[in-house]
Amino acid sequence: MFKVLRRLASLKMTLVGMVLLISGSMLMYGNPADVPVWVVVIPLAFMALNLTAAIITNKRINHQPGLLVFHVCLLGLVILAGIGRLTHLDAHTEIPIGTEFGADRLLEVRTGLWHSGNLDQVTFVQGPYTVQYAPGLRRGLTHSHVLVKDAQGQWVEKVIGDDRVLVVEGYRFYTTHNKGFTTLLTWTPDGGEPITGVVNMPSYPLFDYKQDNEWTPPGTQQVIKFWLQIDAGLTLEHAWTLDARNSSAVLVVTNNDIRQELHEGEAVKLPGGVLKFDKLTMWMGYRIFYDPTIQWMFFIAVAGVLGLGFYFWRKINLQPWTEESLEEASQDKPKEPLKEPLKETMSEPLKHTSQLKTALTKPVTTQHMSISQRSGHDLAAISKGRS
Amino acid sequence: MTSGIVAEIPWLWAGLSAYMVATLVSMWGVSPRFAGMPIIQHKTHEYIVLGCLAIGVVLLATAIGARWMRIGHGPWISLFELLMSQLCSLGLIFALLYWRLPGMRPSAVIVLPVMWILGSWVLTLEPTASHFPATYYNVWKWSHVGLGKIFLALLLAGVGLAGVMIARTTKLGQNWFRSMPSDMVVDRLAWRFMMLALVFDSLMLIAGAVWAQDAWGRYWAWDSLETSAFLTWLFLAIGLHVRLTYKVPHWLSGLLIIGIFCMAFATYFGAPYISPSAHKGMV
Repeated sequence: MFKVLRRLASLKMTLVGMVLLISGSMLMYGNPADVPVWVVVIPLAFMALNLTAAIITNKRINHQPGLLVFHVCLLGLVILAGIGRLTHLDAHTEIPIGTEFGADRLLEVRTGLWHSGNLDQVTFVQGPYTVQYAPGLRRGLTHSHVLVKDAQGQWVEKVIGDDRVLVVEGYRFYTTHNKGFTTLLTWTPDGGEPITGVVNMPSYPLFDYKQDNEWTPPGTQQVIKFWLQIDAGLTLEHAWTLDARNSSAVLVVTNNDIRQELHEGEAVKLPGGVLKFDKLTMWMGYRIFYDPTIQWMFFIAVAGVLGLGFYFWRKINLQPWTEESLEEASQDKPKEPLKEPLKETMSEPLKHTSQLKTALTKPVTTQHMSISQRSGHDLAAISKGRS
Repeated sequence: MTSGIVAEIPWLWAGLSAYMVATLVSMWGVSPRFAGMPIIQHKTHEYIVLGCLAIGVVLLATAIGARWMRIGHGPWISLFELLMSQLCSLGLIFALLYWRLPGMRPSAVIVLPVMWILGSWVLTLEPTASHFPATYYNVWKWSHVGLGKIFLALLLAGVGLAGVMIARTTKLGQNWFRSMPSDMVVDRLAWRFMMLALVFDSLMLIAGAVWAQDAWGRYWAWDSLETSAFLTWLFLAIGLHVRLTYKVPHWLSGLLIIGIFCMAFATYFGAPYISPSAHKGMV
């Protein structure tokens, strides 16, 4: 068993795993959506096995605390990344201003097999938002006001946007470039109760030229076409801020080739009922991300680098730098991969730490050296040349 | 340049000129033809190199400052800005190493011409103003970029020593780098730079992942730049495993370091600007 582990832990296996991982990564290069994820998962799994075996059997790793921490953390990262993929959720949602988020609003949902978050307990209300644009219609900062319940159950206002994320129950909500106008409409069927709802228009200003949508009133077969003529003050020449409060629109309603224009508050009689254009407002598109492992990944990654740093710091500090000591050290160096840990060539750390300065930190004077007498990088000549 | 003289250009030229003087003086200093001159024997030329490097760094920092004031944001976005910023940070870190490790000073004749690739490149680019994306206000950007700069500078210092080891396989190289310690010492120092580079590369990737999570809602998405950065990390890890385990000839050790640097170079100055799906596309 131990023999099998040692074989699995060999550095040749590590190098094979790394080459496989490089190949997989190159296949992913620039085209991650169309390449099966297995091209990196299989090399990573192979390397995780190799790493586990190496941690157990390789004394160079498990006898050196820094290196051990680094490799255990590497393994931990791979495991956490796997768990993260199995428990994650990625989705989008579009929430009109004044509307509460609900799990039924999710679009393009992708979840891992083990996803079991409390999405049904996530609640917040979308408030007004602004998006700043630089001249040339280049998107700047987004300020999205949302109402969130605090620990006491009170609504509290928060401003999120861009890299300021809303985190509720572990679900992270990111504002996106995807946002636009929406029409708040009331449909009163003949002899029925009024129903109020929204019809979202395409993303704005991306689809400035195409602000249209269709809607079928409940209980009818007719398709009503909407076209929103927006005046949001959009300009290419100057800085501009997208804000529903500074925008107005005319809603063009087309039904059976009959075209009618509605301003806010106006209504139109259609077959089967009355449609009222209550208000122009906006919707915000959010990206939703859930992965319970990300904080752990961060801490483990930092711990791993600290371990690596500690190992290198010890190596750099303790190992000799002088010509003679290096020569001695090199005589111990094997030509084949090491089966046993390298023995430190120094027994007196303080002595070597002081020697550190001799080879590289002390200026070298060559005034007494004759170039013709030097045979390449003759160690003795360099030593003599030192003042 | 066709867009006229903007605020940063004179400072940029002045900084690059200082680097050019440093390059020429360092070459003069290692040339066996001038070995007998008192200024060379007393290593005075090394202080001239160090002084020119320091002046170059200050001038380039002024160029960055002038541009910052002109367009309203730091050197984060366009290739022109990135190159100018890298020239400044690489110069600063190399100058510090040059000052603290006199034994590696002759390697400046390899390091400074590499920096001149960046210097020549930046002069061919238009200094047009770039747009600062909203996601770049994130504070993790500073640590990501700062750690990346240290990482690249350590690789560059390693490249200088790698070049020395390779050059010493020729008679000319042996003469030029006669005052440096043996290849064994140079090799060991070069790989110590590589070790430190791995630490900073890892930290850079962590900071980048946190920034990406905050800014774009994912810590890793295999975009072109991320993939390229991961490949660089893997190359570095492979190089260190090979170097620490096998007895590698010094010239091959040098080639390994240069290969890793080339990968990093492509990551920094290639991937973000050739692929629409890299970070540039995310802004």
